[in-house]
Order: sequence, then C-alpha cells, then structure tokens
Amino acid sequence: MFGYLKPVREELKIREYELYKSVYCGLCKHLGKDYGIISRFTLSYDCTVLAMLYLSLTDDRLSVNKGRCVFNPAKKCLFCDCSGEGFRFAGAVSVIMSYYKLVDAIEDSGFFKRNCARFLKFLIKRSFKKALRAYPEINKNVKLMMDQQHDAEKTGCAIDKAAEPTAKMLSELCISILPDDSGKQKILSAFGYYIGRWIYIMDAADDLEKDVKHNNFNPFKDRLKGNINETMLYCNDVLNMTASQIVLAYDLLELNAYKEILDNVIYNGLSFQQKYCLFDKRRSKKCRKKNRDYYPYLSGKNSINH
Amino acid sequence: MAVGMKCSWSLLCVFQNDNSIRAKGREKMKDPYEILGVSPNASDDEIKQAYRMLAKKYHPDKYANSPLAESASEKMKEINSAYDRILNDRKHAGRERRSSGYSSGYSDSTRSHYNNIRMMINSGKFSAAEQELSVVPSNERDAEWYYLMGVVVYHNGWLEDAYNYFQTACRMDPNNVEYRSMFNRIRQQRSGAQGGYNTSSAASESCSCCDICTCLMCSDCLCSCCRS
Repeated sequence: MFGYLKPVREELKIREYELYKSVYCGLCKHLGKDYGIISRFTLSYDCTVLAMLYLSLTDDRLSVNKGRCVFNPAKKCLFCDCSGEGFRFAGAVSVIMSYYKLVDAIEDSGFFKRNCARFLKFLIKRSFKKALRAYPEINKNVKLMMDQQHDAEKTGCAIDKAAEPTAKMLSELCISILPDDSGKQKILSAFGYYIGRWIYIMDAADDLEKDVKHNNFNPFKDRLKGNINETMLYCNDVLNMTASQIVLAYDLLELNAYKEILDNVIYNGLSFQQKYCLFDKRRSKKCRKKNRDYYPYLSGKNSINH
Repeated sequence: MAVGMKCSWSLLCVFQNDNSIRAKGREKMKDPYEILGVSPNASDDEIKQAYRMLAKKYHPDKYANSPLAESASEKMKEINSAYDRILNDRKHAGRERRSSGYSSGYSDSTRSHYNNIRMMINSGKFSAAEQELSVVPSNERDAEWYYLMGVVVYHNGWLEDAYNYFQTACRMDPNNVEYRSMFNRIRQQRSGAQGGYNTSSAASESCSCCDICTCLMCSDCLCSCCRS
C-alpha cells in the first residue's frame, strides 16, 4: 500500500486527531514487539486505517498510555494498546506487503536500486518470517496478487483488469477481519474491492509521468496525449466512480467506534488525496507550496485551470 | 395554555415509558429511535428529517445493480419499519400511519429476446449471464446487449467497462428510459457528487445557468419596486 488512505487533519477534532496519532504510534510499537525493530520502518498510513477498521469492526477497547518514542526519545507521545488482534493483523499486512514490494523492486529496477532492495530485503527477512508464521493466509493472498499483477502487466490490459488483483487482495483482507459474520462479509468484500481499486488507480495516475519516462507499464499510458491535465481529469472521473462505490459500501457498514475518523478518511480523505495527487502536485513548485494546505474556504483560488 | 402544554408533555412521557416497557418485551427488536439515530424525545419534525436523510442515503436507486443491493434494501426495510413504529406509537398526536415507505425492487417492464439472460441476472447468476452474452456475435449486438453486459460487469466491479457499455447502449437507443437512467446515475458518480473530488465545484467563480436565473429574478424584483 502506498499511503493514500489517510484522514484530512484539518477536518478532525483535536481529540480525534490525538486518537489517530495514538493508533499510529500504537501500531508502530506493536510492530516492534511482534515482528522486530526493523519492521517498524514499514509503518504506513494505510495500515493505520486498516488497523482502525479492524478495531472498529471488532469493537475493541483501547487503553491509552503515554511513553517515549523509540526514534525520538526526547518526545513523549500517546500510544494505544488493544486487547484483540487488530494491531497484530495490520502489522503483519504491513510487513508482508513491504516484503513483496521489495521482491518486485529486485525484479524490475535498475542496477543501483536493485541492490538497495536486495539489502533491505535481507534486513526485513526475519520480520517477514515471523509475520508469515502468524498469518500464512495473508502471505498466500498477497503472493497471488503479485503473480496476477505480473501476468496482467506483461500482457498489457485495460484499467479494470489491471486493478483487479489489488482490489481482490484487499477484498480478501477485509473479509478475513470478520470470518464468522456472513451478513457483513458481503459488504466488507465490496468495500475492500473498491478500496483496493481506488488505491491502485491512484498509484497509477500518480506515477504516470515516471512510468512513461522509464517505459514501465501503466494503464493510463494510452490516454496520455498532449495535455497531462486532461488525462488527469479523466483519471479523476474514474476515481470518482470508484469512490462513490466505496461510499455506498461504507454507508452500509454501520461502524460505531472510531466512526468520526473513518468517516473523515472516506468522505474527505479520498477527495483530498485525489485533488492533491492529481492536480496540486503537478503544478509549479511555488504554486504547490501555497496550495499544499487544506483550506476549503479558499477553494475559489484553488480551482483547476481547464 | 401553559398548563395544557405541560399536560400533553407529561402524557407523552408516560406514553414513552410505556413504549420502552413494551420494547423490552419484544425480544431482539432494535430500538426504532436508535435505528433512526434520534433521541426518544425528539420532535416529530426531527424524526421526519432523520428518516428522510436515511432514506436518501440508502435509497434503492443508488444501489441499483450493485452487489450490495440486497443489504441496502434490508437496511431500507429496517428504517421504514422503525419509522412506521414510531409514528404508530405517537399516533395519539394526530398523526396518521404512513402507508408505505420507499418501495424497493425493480420491475423490468421492457420485454425482449434477452429475457432468459435478464432472469439469470435477477437471480444472481452473473457469470452464466456473461457467458451467454459473450456468445452473441458482434454484428448482432444491439443496445440491450450492451446494457445487459454493462449490468454484469458493473456487478463485478469493472466500472470503466461498465461505463463504456452503458454509454454505447445509450448511443444506440437514446430514447430508452432504463439505459438512460443507469447511464445518468453513473455519470453522476463520475462527477464526484457522491464521493471523490468534484472538479467543477472548485471553479466557483464560473457563472452557471442557475446564477443567471437568480440574477434575472433579483433584477425583476427591483423593477417592480421602482414602479410602485
């Protein structure tokens, strides 16, 4: 996963923001405890959201403690601890995904990057083995996704087929949160599918120029004729459609705990990320700096130049 | 008058207590107020508003042809029955029972030679329907073929293909209401109105049809001012 799923900080209440941060720190701490200190570097926003979804679905009670951060001992921060499997699960996903990302990098990067990836893979190997022992089904799932992705990219295909492996994988991951509740599983399956699809398309749109430059596979390559902004408007349409499917599934989930934060991720975060990654990021540096912050009341000035 | 109000208020309270006892008697039935997300002493208007909002959120039209249609219609039923129960319980206030909620389900009024495929889709056999459809040679594919194919791939989550199929169906048969409504729904989704980033809302300086209308109305008001 690539860090696209996160709340819009400006729209959160302060106590919600503190809770979000404490879940982030809690997950980091748990990663260190469960899978070794190296695994802490795999921490991402997406996995924090996944952990939150898990905690919310299983109605897990958190206990919040205060402690020192390992990487910045001068700072004291809040971190939470859960009684259930939430953090272990999200941590395993994080480690396993990072491992396969490195494997992928070894296969198709240049000389320098390839050797860096080899070194990192060697470092993370121990953590990966621990995660593999704890959750063999996640490993199976991610591996299958990687293989299918490879096949799809080799043959070259349209956006729907290219996004399918990632979407299917997240769908499976979400289902495995509630293995016994068949009523909710259907909703979770759809939710995960569209979240995965959204993340894949987002990544593809974000890396479009880079992929064209290095001649890598990208489903939007055929669309890129002339103006990049026009292509991005098309990508935005595709993403909007996926996002509205996410909202449809999410509305049916009926969460209780951490609802405000997850609501923020789905209702505000998706649109903000689309706006930032597709449009704001591609403008001149000076402009970008000015537009980086999220101020909806200035939206007139932030409008897109068609 | 104040006394009267007090009286009716206490009556309401007694009635609600009675309700809660009755609710406890029913086993496993969820509190209707909880379902609508309002407090038990909310006013009728508040309840109506909450009901309307939820009904809009889970409206079967939004979930048409989606794999979640069933869950949504269940949710809709729950909301409807909760609203009915609250209204029933408050009947003494002079309210009439709401006869029916938003009806769910689709009736396919159009008849066609794709009837068996439509039946497959209605009974949830999507992969079989897809196979049947893909057998049809490409020169015999008409608007309905594209529509049905769109429905199948939409259900599978292949949204881009679905969009293209619906678009083709609409182009081939522009007067068909069924195709048109589905295509419009998807177009609305793509615009970002239901989630995602709406690019047109950011350009707020632009002058839309509505703005012109409002402008004309305002100036018309001023005109009549001058005359009198």
